[in-house]
Amino acid sequence: MWTYLIRRLAWNVPVYLGILLFIMIVLRVRDPVFARLPKNATEQDKADIRAELGLDQPFVAQYRDLLRQVCTLSFDQESWSHPGQTVGQIMKRSIGPSLAITVPALVFTTVLSVTVALCSAWFRGRLPDRLLVLTSVLGMSISFLVYIILGQYFAAFRMREITGIDLFAISYDPEVSGVGGMEFVTTVWPRYYLLPVLTSVVVAMGYDTRFYRAVMVEESSRDYIITARAKGAPQWRIMFVHMLKNAMIPIITRVATTLPFLITGSFLLERYFGIPGMGNQLLLAVESLDFPVVQAFTAVFAALYIATILLTDILYALVDPRVRLS
Amino acid sequence: MTEIGSSRAWRKFLRHRPAVIASVVIAVYVAVALSVLLTGWITLEDTSARVGPANLPGFGLLPDPEQRMDNAEWLAERIESLCDRADPEEALAGFRDLGSRRLADLNVDEFRRRIDAIWDTWDRLAELDDVNEAARSPETGPEVREGLAELDRRCEALLQPVSETGSVWRTLELLLGTDRQGRSIFLRAVYSIRVAVMIGLVTGLLAVAIGTLAGLAAGYFGGITDGIITWLYSTFASIPGIVLLIVLAFMFSGGELDASLNRVTGGLLRTVLGGRLDETLIPVYISFAITFWIGPCRVIRGETMKIRELEYVQAAVVMGFGRMRLLLRHVLPNVSHLMLINFSLLFIAAVKSEVILSYLGLGVQNGPSWGLMISQSGQEVMKGFFWQIGSATGFMFVLVLAFNILTDALQDVFDPKHV
Repeated sequence: MWTYLIRRLAWNVPVYLGILLFIMIVLRVRDPVFARLPKNATEQDKADIRAELGLDQPFVAQYRDLLRQVCTLSFDQESWSHPGQTVGQIMKRSIGPSLAITVPALVFTTVLSVTVALCSAWFRGRLPDRLLVLTSVLGMSISFLVYIILGQYFAAFRMREITGIDLFAISYDPEVSGVGGMEFVTTVWPRYYLLPVLTSVVVAMGYDTRFYRAVMVEESSRDYIITARAKGAPQWRIMFVHMLKNAMIPIITRVATTLPFLITGSFLLERYFGIPGMGNQLLLAVESLDFPVVQAFTAVFAALYIATILLTDILYALVDPRVRLS
Repeated sequence: MTEIGSSRAWRKFLRHRPAVIASVVIAVYVAVALSVLLTGWITLEDTSARVGPANLPGFGLLPDPEQRMDNAEWLAERIESLCDRADPEEALAGFRDLGSRRLADLNVDEFRRRIDAIWDTWDRLAELDDVNEAARSPETGPEVREGLAELDRRCEALLQPVSETGSVWRTLELLLGTDRQGRSIFLRAVYSIRVAVMIGLVTGLLAVAIGTLAGLAAGYFGGITDGIITWLYSTFASIPGIVLLIVLAFMFSGGELDASLNRVTGGLLRTVLGGRLDETLIPVYISFAITFWIGPCRVIRGETMKIRELEYVQAAVVMGFGRMRLLLRHVLPNVSHLMLINFSLLFIAAVKSEVILSYLGLGVQNGPSWGLMISQSGQEVMKGFFWQIGSATGFMFVLVLAFNILTDALQDVFDPKHV
């Protein structure tokens, strides 16, 4: 296993270098100096700004600098559009709000959709199963944005108008930004984060239920299930003890592959609900051509992505003794 | 593994009734898209022109009384201001905010007289505290409703009577109502079919073509070719898809890409598009293709590696066939089902991603699209107006649902082992 791990790590080094190179090249398609020029700028102004941003350095030197930051994990470069703040500070500040949406959303979605998928597999081919499959296909065919808009309208706006229950915030209250700890969980989170989490759960349920149902159906035709049935084990025991245990492998894999997205956050949700998370921050950085932030964020995302894929492989081998890493 | 040319698989597909219906639906969408593209029965100008008052409900439903008054006020004020111009005749002749309808052929004094009549009725209704309430209450109801009907008749008197041929187009214009800027929702939604089908087809074909080429080469030749291609797709696959899409779409949306493509092809692009370089979706196509080619490439590479070891390919090698012939005649047909399935998957991904990108301001820049329509409808929904979000979602829902059903059927028929 160790040789496998080392070989995989070695293979990912050129891949990672490629990612950094690619993102630097793509960013340089547009000229950030142009957007930062004062009115009636002279050639001298242009050169000054270019030097100030460090873009007068040769490309290789810029690449080396990014590599240094990634290797030493010290994102100390100053952000271009937030003067006085380093990229590391921005990242630290935005990671919390992202996790406050993505972690509960992932937990709710997985628990709910595995349960629903089990029910669906239980009734396989009969009416409840067909209804569930149909609902998930119908739900998958509607845009995420529509769920967000209608969710906000009905759950927050109409609900307050009709019942007078003021559960979800409609506008932003600047006082909430400083709240932390237990108070955050009990007051701010339900008011500002619960609705985005629910929306995200509803949208993700369709995809996940379908996948988990396919896994369960596949699993239910295996020999050991037939054996268990022949032994006279009750149906619920077959479903929840025999089958669920074996279905854990694909479930773990799927959950593991979504782990990097916990950090990236949901661009759409964060943008629409005005949550200052990683996704929103990256969008702002892309729009204002803030190269240091975009580069550092992408570098971190990619590193996490590669790490989780490796972890998934190892986890796979640990859960399933038949899998050998070689 | 089932080859796409096999008639047994096709018979199985044809027995799958939902899939056949889905194919017909897709064919209709493509036909509409082609008819808009080729004949131009809806032009970009039609979709951006004002056809009447803002937020009119569809199916000829009457808006609530207050909005009917607002609409009458809008029309009367617009024409009144035109009559006050230095050259009123010319200003009135140039009035275009009624869609396919025209102002009646009257002189300025006659217009003024009729507008004064509108204001008479309007003022009478405006004296009520709440028109909506008054129109509902049993005492004042009949009188208010009669007043509103009179208002509508007097507004109608400013316009030319609808001709036989014009009435069909007028019905279409107002079929699903108007948006916040008084533009026709139906025309915009139908024009968006063209946009969505173009995005789905072009990016699907591009991504599948690139992915297939790369996957075949990597899987068949192995060695350094495989190393380079695997490195390339690992690199792209290690950046979360949505991040890659957003960064690419923004970087290419500056217009430099279109301009340089036009330069490289010697002005070909401008000639084809008739001088409208800013309305291309090239940045969207390119960023989607760069993001989406990874999926088909990975699958086809794996399949090619398996096929390469099969006896019939080995036999063909022994018979001394060339590499190109082997790849094109023996390997390619056996991965064609994967190409089809991946195309179908990418079509859905492209149409749905367009909505997200358009909301973020990185998708379609000029002209309508379902994504733009949904994004713009956010504020209308808060006022309880659902026609725009409903129409865009409905049109998109049917297309995406058809593709979802088709993809499932294709997977069942051609790739049954896939989970």
